[in-house]
Amino acid sequence: MDFKLTAEEQAFRLEVQDFLRRELTPNIWLAHRDPTEQGMWTADFTKAFRRKLGAAGYIGMGWPKEYGGGGRNRIYQTILWDEMEYHRAPGIDRSVTYIPNAVIAFGSDAQKAEFLPKMVRGELSWFVGYSEPEAGSDLANLKTKAVEDGDYFVITGQKAFSSDAHMADYGWVATRTDATSTKHHGLTMFIVDMTLPGVTVSEYPTLAGWTHHAVHFDNVRVHKSMMVGARDQGWKVVMGAIDYERGALASAGLVNYQLDRLLAWCAQPREGAAPLLDDPVVRDELVRLAIEAETAKLASYWLASLSAKGLRPQHESSVALLVKRETSRKFDAAGLELLGQFAPLRAGSPAVALAGEVEVEYRDHLYFQFAAGGFDITRNVVATRGLGLPR
Amino acid sequence: MDISLDSDQQMLHETAVTFAANVMTPARIRELEETDAGFDASVWKQIAEMGWAGALFPEQYGGSEASAVELALVVEALGQGAIPNPLFSTVIEAGLLLLDAGSPIQRETYLPRIASGDAILTTAILEASGGLRPQEIRTTITKAGNGFTINGTKLFVRDASTAEVIIVAGRTGDEAEDVTLLIVPQNAPGLTLRRMPASGGESLWQATFDNVMVDSDALVGDDGNAWAAIARLQLRGAAFKSAELVGIGQASLDLTVTYAKTREQFGGPIGRFQGVHHHCAEIYRDLQVSRLLVWQAAASLGEGLAGSREVSMAKAKCSDAMPAATRIAHQIHGAIAYYRDYPLELYYHRAIAAQAAYGDAGHHRRVLSELMRTDLDGFRGDNRHDLPVHYF
Repeated sequence: MDFKLTAEEQAFRLEVQDFLRRELTPNIWLAHRDPTEQGMWTADFTKAFRRKLGAAGYIGMGWPKEYGGGGRNRIYQTILWDEMEYHRAPGIDRSVTYIPNAVIAFGSDAQKAEFLPKMVRGELSWFVGYSEPEAGSDLANLKTKAVEDGDYFVITGQKAFSSDAHMADYGWVATRTDATSTKHHGLTMFIVDMTLPGVTVSEYPTLAGWTHHAVHFDNVRVHKSMMVGARDQGWKVVMGAIDYERGALASAGLVNYQLDRLLAWCAQPREGAAPLLDDPVVRDELVRLAIEAETAKLASYWLASLSAKGLRPQHESSVALLVKRETSRKFDAAGLELLGQFAPLRAGSPAVALAGEVEVEYRDHLYFQFAAGGFDITRNVVATRGLGLPR
Repeated sequence: MDISLDSDQQMLHETAVTFAANVMTPARIRELEETDAGFDASVWKQIAEMGWAGALFPEQYGGSEASAVELALVVEALGQGAIPNPLFSTVIEAGLLLLDAGSPIQRETYLPRIASGDAILTTAILEASGGLRPQEIRTTITKAGNGFTINGTKLFVRDASTAEVIIVAGRTGDEAEDVTLLIVPQNAPGLTLRRMPASGGESLWQATFDNVMVDSDALVGDDGNAWAAIARLQLRGAAFKSAELVGIGQASLDLTVTYAKTREQFGGPIGRFQGVHHHCAEIYRDLQVSRLLVWQAAASLGEGLAGSREVSMAKAKCSDAMPAATRIAHQIHGAIAYYRDYPLELYYHRAIAAQAAYGDAGHHRRVLSELMRTDLDGFRGDNRHDLPVHYF
């Protein structure tokens, strides 16, 4: 047991920090931030930045070397995610985390040969086609169908809550191939080229200010070579990818940033008043938050340590993600309180506090409570898969 | 970085959990709670024979030079089994205090006999205010001939009735930290003990010193300069008590999950209901992060007071979350666990005592608050670099 980074790990952290400082200067920030995008950066910048991550060797660090990966353990990946989140950098998302890992685990040799080299260079953007209007928390209820027709499957249906679909090159799409089946059986995963005829993307503005998307498939003909894993065995692929997804999202960089930002705000001199930090009630609140932030940090590196040992964390990933996201929401709420009168002000207002970011995040982070398994759904997962309670 | 147990640590933990689960029945535990000693000397001897009493001592004193993380795993396991034992009084307080600040003769006299389970020792620090700051020590120690005279009343002295000596802290000057430690035989003339009946299975005592006299060789460390050693004692106490709280939480969770799987109502086990899922997941979540904080706190010990931030975070979180876990556990059990013959009551009571020991959650948040006032950077994340300038 060792709570400190090794010299090599620390050197990597510093290297990533240098990279991010260089690539996300204030001028770049001002030129490319975009509050209408979910990732808060323009689509073009997000894609360009992802290629830079690829060029720097930061994508695929943990993949096996035979797929162009760096063969580095999960501690390094967690350091990378941690720093990326702290800097609110774009590009670390499904396109470079769990989709390539699922391709490695479940893809055919041809799929690996076609997609992994492009993915490791950061050239591909993906959307995940799991959720549908009638299949959210109850994902196995999905209705999008894929019907075999010679060498093709014909896909028809609608995906909902499809993050970044408008900038995606490919979709990672769960379909029902056995119309007589229900629930977890008879599902099949496909990789769908978003330029195929019959694929359309529609827009839904969110209360957080950015635009979300839905994807419609109207008799889209997908070659059977784009099927991932075995026919009717898609649930296994979905589940295998989800544990990795939760682990990747559990990084504590965001929470560390929220802590640092709030500490800086409270330490600031104020005209006509003492710094908030002089108030013991404020400090007690900050101490409570700092303890929670510490638990999020420890949980993410605990998860990384288990993975680095070759274990396959399952419900542990859910716990770590729950801790991180619940902690982040505590910071959101406390941020409003500690900003006082300034809490509702948005960017552009005179005397706006922290560029209005706390208020934006208070709205934006609402999705933590329902995306990738909401808080309560995650608790169900922990109770059933972790503690063995009956469903 | 590696935040996980290695295979030896896992084996140690499993061994300790198995030991604690089998060494005595709940009925025997309740019986011991009614005695003055509070623990079973033969069981303590077994614990010592497992190597756990001397775990942190050097080999020359019969120890095995294990790490604090390993002792924390043992403490957690004994907490999980609710096994009454004098580990806190004898090892974590007195033994490690003597290892830290005692003379070679004092160490040689006591540590091997502590490690073998033959000597019970304790310390007497707290007084009427119940607080942990140096100025709250009002007992006086005055020089008298070739020795010292002690006057005052100590509270919350663990295992005083079975201890052969009590290491007492007293005031020698007007400055807050003018504090001295003395080793006092428990049967010294002028020393009287009175039981403090309390929840949680500990044998706690009031110790009144009325002109108690000891020789100069009773002095532990430097005369008038003992506060730093006492602060380290409290830090160790808080870290290991946090480990006990994790054991309490684990036992509460285990009982609750077992009950939820087997108790049938409305045509099936109650563990199928989401309300029960969520409660159990909450206990598990808080238990797991508390455990991580405890590992970190234990790992930080041995670095002097540098571990204060880590220890206070652990004790603050565990003192809040683990008693809460016992309350949720009772919620799921309902009436059945309200009866004394159901084992959950052991943990409900132990949580009351453990959250208070070596500083409750409020105390440790105040410690952290003061650290935050004086060293804000110590609270920043590992990223620890300047915030993007364009935010200000």
